[in-house]
Amino acid sequence: MIRTVNLTKKFGNLLVFEDVNFKIEKGERVVIIGPSGAGKSTFIRCLNFLEFPTSGDVYFEGKRIDKNSNLPAIRQRIGMVFQHFNLFPHLTALQNVTIAPIKVKKMSEKEANEIAMYYLSKVGLADRINHYPSQLSGGEKQRIAIARALAMKPDLMLFDEPTSALDVEMVKEVLDTIEKLAFEGMTMIVVTHEISFAKEVADRLIFMADHHIVEENTPSEFFAHPRTERAKKFLNKIVNI
Amino acid sequence: MHLWHNFSAIWRSVPFLLKGLPITLSLTGLSGLIGIGIGLALALMKISKNKLFRWFALIYIDLFRGTPLLLQIMIVYYALPLNIDAFSAAIIALSLNAAAYLAEIFRAGIESISKGQMEAALSVGMNYSQAMRYIIIPQTIRRIIPPTTNEIVALLKDTSLVMVIGLAEIVYKAKQIGSATANFLTPLMFAAILYLIFTIPLTRYAEKLERRFSRGD
Repeated sequence: MIRTVNLTKKFGNLLVFEDVNFKIEKGERVVIIGPSGAGKSTFIRCLNFLEFPTSGDVYFEGKRIDKNSNLPAIRQRIGMVFQHFNLFPHLTALQNVTIAPIKVKKMSEKEANEIAMYYLSKVGLADRINHYPSQLSGGEKQRIAIARALAMKPDLMLFDEPTSALDVEMVKEVLDTIEKLAFEGMTMIVVTHEISFAKEVADRLIFMADHHIVEENTPSEFFAHPRTERAKKFLNKIVNI
Repeated sequence: MHLWHNFSAIWRSVPFLLKGLPITLSLTGLSGLIGIGIGLALALMKISKNKLFRWFALIYIDLFRGTPLLLQIMIVYYALPLNIDAFSAAIIALSLNAAAYLAEIFRAGIESISKGQMEAALSVGMNYSQAMRYIIIPQTIRRIIPPTTNEIVALLKDTSLVMVIGLAEIVYKAKQIGSATANFLTPLMFAAILYLIFTIPLTRYAEKLERRFSRGD
């Protein structure tokens, strides 16, 4: 579905990641973990071109995309959930979900509302539709953000540390929502630090550190038998916390 | 006796002074509206990716903020080969000048919206102009209303400068009354009160909005 070849990103002289070769097939669930600063978030932001890669190629369904591609059309098919939710504060929960279907897909308001209600019920927030983001908890905001992305009926979902900004007691409701999606067959790439979630959900785990993909394995294998010293060092640190 | 005579003469000239008010208000209203339009365009140019637009906006804003408004009014009326009446010249100069100040207010307002808002809008498939129109601008508006109101208050006061090209607004009328009655204090004070009737409520309104927005989300 999406593939990168020697993808490299620099901010000025600062190297974020280098020569990343990555591939995800339809229906696959991939988790990316690694120390902060390894370039995980920037990498998935290059997949929908919120960041423009410095060099290398991104292929979406076999077609190479660059900054001259029809990016809005591609992004409609790639949903994204952000660490800090990025809900639209001037719109209600329902409007947050319907605005893109109405303005981008030119759907009627009635049709968009039906779709929005379907996804808002799915994330368990049908009773919050008229609330503004400022009236919602972090976990609720993130679930609205998931519904907002789903309402465009994407083929692939990108999750950029979806639980890192949440209070501990709200992490589970968001992870449960993502797990439910995973078990329904949604193709997804999740940048996360949640080990049990990774074990539960991912078909494949990618360990990124020092600007590269260091290790790629099934989650259970990776956590039980890390092959590289870098991965061992990382796992020691996060397990000891 | 002398004072009383003077006072009644001035009292009789109040309607005369008030005739300047429509000019002051229409200059403020029209230049404000046109200035907001041009200011928004300049703000978008200043944050655009196009270097030419950015340069144009930068130079425009520098020129109009870096020279006296009085000079700009005189240039438009006397120096440019436009062949227009004083009222039109005043509107042109005042709105071009206000646009420079408003552009900076709008630019700061747009840039105060977190980067994540644009990213979220793009990530659901909006193009740049849809993201601006439905996501960024509506959020910007509530933040820029207080400073924009203050700018309109400044514009209202600045309209008095157009008396140099012979437009009979409030101060011009007050000066005429002063010359005719040999008493400048009373008509000028009266003119001041006329300005305050508009500027104080507007300023209070801006302050109230500012407090409300800084309290809220």
